[in-house]
Amino acid sequence: MTVLYTIVPLEDVLEGIDDDPAPTMVLKLGGLSLEVEQLDGFQAKVVRLLSTDPEHYLLPHCQPGAVIDLK
Amino acid sequence: MNGQEQPATPGGSGSKDKAVLQNIKELGQISRPQAQEPEVQPFHCLTIIGQIEGHMVLPPRNKTTKYEHVIPQLVAIEQNPKIKGLLVVLNTVGGDIEAGLAIAEMLHTMKTPTVSLVLGGGHSIGAPIAVAADYSLISATATMTIHPIRLSGLVIGVPQTYEYLDKMQERVTRFILEHSRVKADVLREMMFRTGELVRDVGTVLVGEEAVRIGLIDEVGGLGVALSRLAQMIEPDAEGGVQ
Repeated sequence: MTVLYTIVPLEDVLEGIDDDPAPTMVLKLGGLSLEVEQLDGFQAKVVRLLSTDPEHYLLPHCQPGAVIDLK
Repeated sequence: MNGQEQPATPGGSGSKDKAVLQNIKELGQISRPQAQEPEVQPFHCLTIIGQIEGHMVLPPRNKTTKYEHVIPQLVAIEQNPKIKGLLVVLNTVGGDIEAGLAIAEMLHTMKTPTVSLVLGGGHSIGAPIAVAADYSLISATATMTIHPIRLSGLVIGVPQTYEYLDKMQERVTRFILEHSRVKADVLREMMFRTGELVRDVGTVLVGEEAVRIGLIDEVGGLGVALSRLAQMIEPDAEGGVQ
């Protein structure tokens, strides 16, 4: 159940909603788990952080959108 | 592992940088996986930008504030004794009503002093988040749109009954009324005003107007916001605006 309360027209918000999302995988990194989307080569983009330690959510490399070098 | 153990090698900041580089080389990580930096800034800054994303993952063209990341960040800020205050910078077009209300409720119940600053725009669900802080500011040219949920809203998976939307609306209205000085009849009148918005009913408030009706506490920018935070921590400190 989702209710959107926004000034942006609905068709703009939902543009591309039917496209399949990129596949993700869970990466263990330094004791925490990150859900990442594999980019080209040896890089991965953080989609979500899976942790119960709130301090982890302040780490810059765990923010959604951060790119991690897997090399 | 061994790269991590040697950040304290003597020789100043140059060797520290080297240790970081070595970390990247040895461990394949951009930054060291250490939660506690030696110096924690007294104020943290939380930006609420774009659409507020809740239960539904929005298409990638939207710039979103992710609810599930913001909530634990607020917990971390509240728990960390070194973080003395939180500045919430709002430039949002709205978004998921429940996620937005959840962020507003978290902010409101925090013991850490909070100041919100509306820059650019704090529309729709941005309004409850702005008023949830201990003190709210709006820049002189920033705007806030007050409008009802039903006309531009989206309901997925529930019967679109009038009562249901009315209840949703009531939660937002009540939150704003309880946490700001705005009067109920003024807010309702603004919400259903016709002629100001093209595809919707509602009101656009620019800077000073939001303060005049009591929605926001003061017109100001970053300087005022930071001195207000400093004042909340040490009431005797100078820098206040009377």
